Amino acid sequence: MIKRLLIANRGEIALRVIRACSEMGIESVAVYSEVDANAPHTVAADRAVAIGPAPAVDSYLAIGKIVDAARATGCDAVHPGYGFLAENPAFASACIDAGLRFVGPQPAVIEMMGSKTAARRAAQSAGLPIVPGETPADQSNDTIAGAAARVGLPVLLKAAAGGGGKGMRLVAAAREMDEAIDGARREAQAAFGNGTLYVERALARPRHVEIQVFGDSHGHAVHLFERDCSAQRRHQKVVEESPSPAVTPRLRARMGEAAVSLVRAVGYRNAGTIEFLVEGTGDEAHFCFLEMNTRLQVEHPVTEAVTGVDLVRAQLLEASGEPLPWTQDDLSLRGHAIECRIYAEDPEQDFLPQAGPLLCYREPAMPGVRIDAGVIEGSEVSVHYDPLLAKLVAYGETRDVAIDRLAAALRHFPILGMRTNVPFLVTLLTDPRFRRGDIHTRFLDDHAAALIAAAHVEAPAEAFAAAVAMDAPDGAGKGARAGRGARAGRGARAATAASREAADPWTLLRGWRNG
Amino acid sequence: MAAGRFVVREGDNSRTVEVQSDGRVLVEGSDRPIEVRAIEHGEYDVSDGDRRRRVFVASGTDGREVFIDGRVFRFEVRSASERRQEGGHHLDSLTAPMPGTVIKVLVEPGQHVRRGDTLLKLEAMKMELPVRAPHDGVVKAVRCREGELVQAGVRLLDLG
Repeated sequence: MIKRLLIANRGEIALRVIRACSEMGIESVAVYSEVDANAPHTVAADRAVAIGPAPAVDSYLAIGKIVDAARATGCDAVHPGYGFLAENPAFASACIDAGLRFVGPQPAVIEMMGSKTAARRAAQSAGLPIVPGETPADQSNDTIAGAAARVGLPVLLKAAAGGGGKGMRLVAAAREMDEAIDGARREAQAAFGNGTLYVERALARPRHVEIQVFGDSHGHAVHLFERDCSAQRRHQKVVEESPSPAVTPRLRARMGEAAVSLVRAVGYRNAGTIEFLVEGTGDEAHFCFLEMNTRLQVEHPVTEAVTGVDLVRAQLLEASGEPLPWTQDDLSLRGHAIECRIYAEDPEQDFLPQAGPLLCYREPAMPGVRIDAGVIEGSEVSVHYDPLLAKLVAYGETRDVAIDRLAAALRHFPILGMRTNVPFLVTLLTDPRFRRGDIHTRFLDDHAAALIAAAHVEAPAEAFAAAVAMDAPDGAGKGARAGRGARAGRGARAATAASREAADPWTLLRGWRNG
Repeated sequence: MAAGRFVVREGDNSRTVEVQSDGRVLVEGSDRPIEVRAIEHGEYDVSDGDRRRRVFVASGTDGREVFIDGRVFRFEVRSASERRQEGGHHLDSLTAPMPGTVIKVLVEPGQHVRRGDTLLKLEAMKMELPVRAPHDGVVKAVRCREGELVQAGVRLLDLG
């Protein structure tokens, strides 16, 4: 068994792994950048190592510093989380070369799945259907436009080296091609250091359905059913759920078998996700391989809720050389789980990421609700990292129950100090099309403006009354300070510290300021 | 200040709010006095005598933020005795929300823009971020160049 694990990540996923370590009796070692010296993940681990300045390239992406930190603290394994170095084969190799176990698949498999072309070839030879597409060897605009014409418009331009929606453009008409190619290439170059573009047929109103898979070094391979991530904005997932409202038992069985056959074909080890696009409905719906993510997904708690397994624990067992804790027959799907990602972003400014101190952050505690967060009240949300604040996951016996719980939890989740997508999510969850499960991957892009407009409601009189409460200390707001013991005190101190910082206009960054 | 009168504004919606000596609050346009009780820092129990709600309040540079039932409202609060600021003319300066590179400037001084128009594009956090007009107006000045690396808070352009 792993004895001491370094977590090469920050935020909620680092905390998720640290908790699993604590349950399993594994010592945890966090790494942190200068701005994260007091971050929740730094404080939660048994040990913490400073690895450099705030920009990720000097800290959370610095392979040498992280491997050195693991060796210096006597670790025997490294968990990469998601993002940062999680799908970097050079990092996995560097860990293994340093005598550390890497919690994830083999470097060669990471490398293969990281290349759109190699991944498609692997999927195709394992018998999976794929979306028509090509990567032109000559990357001039004309050649790419020619490839797009062969594949057939509309097409998606994608970064050959990346994922996560960066460097991706939908092109419906030939006249949009040049601008889209230039934009996609710029983003791909900036995000992945490689501007190579790949052209893929854009399916009509497809759903994004992914299968959670797991393999081990003993040749076992299983799938843990699907997650539906059709609610995405510019290819960034916003809401994820399991089971998919569009997947029938027969389709589930076919997709699960296809996924497992790819796991077997490449000898995949540890947790992974195979993403598919699904067109059509019912048993006759067809699916195409999109890509494979060789890591734990952000949305893994959804699968944990409906299957009852602990995926991080299984990752740590597998990386220790143990066989999978379950066979395919042990796994079943029960009830419904749905997750939304709470981001520090302003829907009204095109979802511009926000930064600053969290003046108020109070998580609701409710039955069937799980919150994986990387922040606490008073935390400083940095411009340097992903603006994900928390993942809110609700479970219920049916999809309706789960959505009702998720919506109720959002209505009891005050986050102040910066704009977030909470009001937008509240509106989305009540949208009749979403409630029917009748959406596709471009639903949010097509309807975001209308949803944002619908999120505008007139402030009730109570809100006006509460707004002055702190201006009239002897009047309104005076009353029983019904103490809540330690929590009240801690919250107050954190908020006071945060308010002090907020007085500095350079600390609280935002788009507009009256001048 | 045992009691007081305030002008509370949310966008175009401005109301006089009066805190009575008994601590209850009268909001212009609403007949029921509202009772506001502090629970803990920033958390209030608010009742209009019929329905009770839990409300959270924080004071940031963005004004007074109020969370109620999954919605957030942003208010500007001033004492009713403060004189209203002179003039209706309003000049906004658009600042960079985070460090980034200006990759495109799409407007020039004197240009009329509509709310929501893209004024310029920044690249930050490896993404292209369009910066849009918050209201209709005229571009008074462009204060950045394409290709320029800007720090957070730097004025990018003025909109009148």
